Amino acid sequence: MAELASRLQTAQPAIRARAKIGPRGRREIVWFYVFISPWLFGFLFLTLVPMVMGFGLSLSNFNGLNWATMKFVGAANYLHALTDSQLWSSLRLTLLFTIVSVPLGLLVSMGLALLVNQEIRGKGLFRTLLYLPSFIPVVAGALAWRIFADKNSGLINGLLSWLRPGMALPWLTDLAPATLLMFVLWGGVGSGMIVLLGGLQAVPQDLREAALIDGANEWQALRYVTLPLMSPVLFFQLTIGIIGSLQILVPPLLLAASGYGSGTTVYTPPPQSIYMYLVYVFVQIFGNQAFAYGIAMLWILFVIVLLLTLLVFRTSRGWVHYEVEQ
Amino acid sequence: MAQSRRNLTYLLVVPLTVLFLIPLVWLVLTSFKKETEYLAYPITILPVTWQWVNYQLAVTMTAFSRYLFNTVYLAIFFTGLSTLSSAFVGFGFARHNVPGKNVLFTLVLAMIILPNLVTVVPQFIIFSRLKITGTYWPWVLWGLTASPWHIFLFRQYFSTFPRDLEDAAEVDGCSRFGIFWRIFLPNAWPALIISAIFNFQWVWGDFVNPLIFLSDEATTLAVKLSGSTYVDPHYNRLVTVTMAAVVLYILPIAVGFFAAQKRIIEGVVTTGIKG
Repeated sequence: MAELASRLQTAQPAIRARAKIGPRGRREIVWFYVFISPWLFGFLFLTLVPMVMGFGLSLSNFNGLNWATMKFVGAANYLHALTDSQLWSSLRLTLLFTIVSVPLGLLVSMGLALLVNQEIRGKGLFRTLLYLPSFIPVVAGALAWRIFADKNSGLINGLLSWLRPGMALPWLTDLAPATLLMFVLWGGVGSGMIVLLGGLQAVPQDLREAALIDGANEWQALRYVTLPLMSPVLFFQLTIGIIGSLQILVPPLLLAASGYGSGTTVYTPPPQSIYMYLVYVFVQIFGNQAFAYGIAMLWILFVIVLLLTLLVFRTSRGWVHYEVEQ
Repeated sequence: MAQSRRNLTYLLVVPLTVLFLIPLVWLVLTSFKKETEYLAYPITILPVTWQWVNYQLAVTMTAFSRYLFNTVYLAIFFTGLSTLSSAFVGFGFARHNVPGKNVLFTLVLAMIILPNLVTVVPQFIIFSRLKITGTYWPWVLWGLTASPWHIFLFRQYFSTFPRDLEDAAEVDGCSRFGIFWRIFLPNAWPALIISAIFNFQWVWGDFVNPLIFLSDEATTLAVKLSGSTYVDPHYNRLVTVTMAAVVLYILPIAVGFFAAQKRIIEGVVTTGIKG
């Protein structure tokens, strides 16, 4: 993250340094802290304190109510996690989903960005319409997909049964992973496309043209000039994509399960095939009141996200190129 | 050559765009069907008769206006607070040269990788002890404390302002706060609009936080529509009425999106904030 920050910082003009700290400098320090105080306050009291408290509770048998009789249980919740088969299968599923959906999403976003970067009439309209599903609230998208992919009344099966009468695929049950993947791509590649379009347009055209004049074909110019120059943007998208995908919660929660929302006390979980990690955590905490165990699982996820982010940063040295050297 | 390439682009981009819009078109079409027509086999594409009554039912079968008011109210005050506080913090990072600043800014960005629930669940425990769950106070606190992407956006924007602007104001006896409030902020409309749009869109679409923190009366449309709100006397879900409510729910967002699409797209390009 430190690297990301410093790289983001180099991407914009540096502010002239002032002379060494005098009375004026001291005043500047005071004002700096005044200005960042809203964030600092939030960081301390809405992030740090809850995190430390949460970690403390994860070492207890807290169930949301037993403040008076709560006991310290050491690492028991973490040890339980090691042998919890539901946790492992949810984690495996989430990692698998991330490995498939993030690269695929990046690939589709890149393809779309290349398409709408062409000089065609109405390109602004295409950009807007392709981006629309990303801007629509996820709840609305999930409800729309629920009737779109419904086994009996959905449009997909309706069209399929025209091709082959009687054909009705179980999109929301047996095929739920495929539907979830399509839904996530539908609701995400549009914004990815816009971000990559920004990266694409920042690539100096003369470099690409020079490659073409030197005899490179379109594909080679893309592969050896455009993509390397865009690698910081691709890398950024990849990192954010992985972080987001490991935390997937609302799409599996709403896509296939029914009966969620206020006024419902019974949590009907989605099918096993899309029972993602955070879904399990959510059900444990808000369905079973297993607060301590749920928070322990959140800490496990946090460590996994952190390690994977570091891993991606590590591998990035081989393929991400920065024009600005520090 | 150029023409054939353009044709190929159309050949790909037109069907893809249509494909992307189909689920939304299907949503709108379904919202106009009779429930029996929706359930009938084989399916119909266009409604046999357009059931405008679904929209009437969507508004009257539940206290739609109350949940709409809750959502608008929450979205507006959160957007105001969060946009201003992020601009304030962004100005701090952009226009002060202080040792340790970069470390703190790295910390701001590092918060992006923190899974939301790691802080939200303990917050829920704290807030219910303080008896502020079921109220909008959590949103006041979240709004006042700025958010990483938006701080980044304003920091970028304010960094481009010329130094002379600040120096001249300082010579005129303007305080730091005055410089922010009277000079930088009024000249930051593009950033303010982008930040406000994304804050508004976030609250409008947020499902998890209202579900966790709000009671049934105080909750937002996102939560209300995903639950069993529209049912017949036998507790079967009325799909077509629900879809009419969903269309009403996304209408303001869709209209706002088309009205401000240029700025929104520009905003995504410069910050990487996603809708």
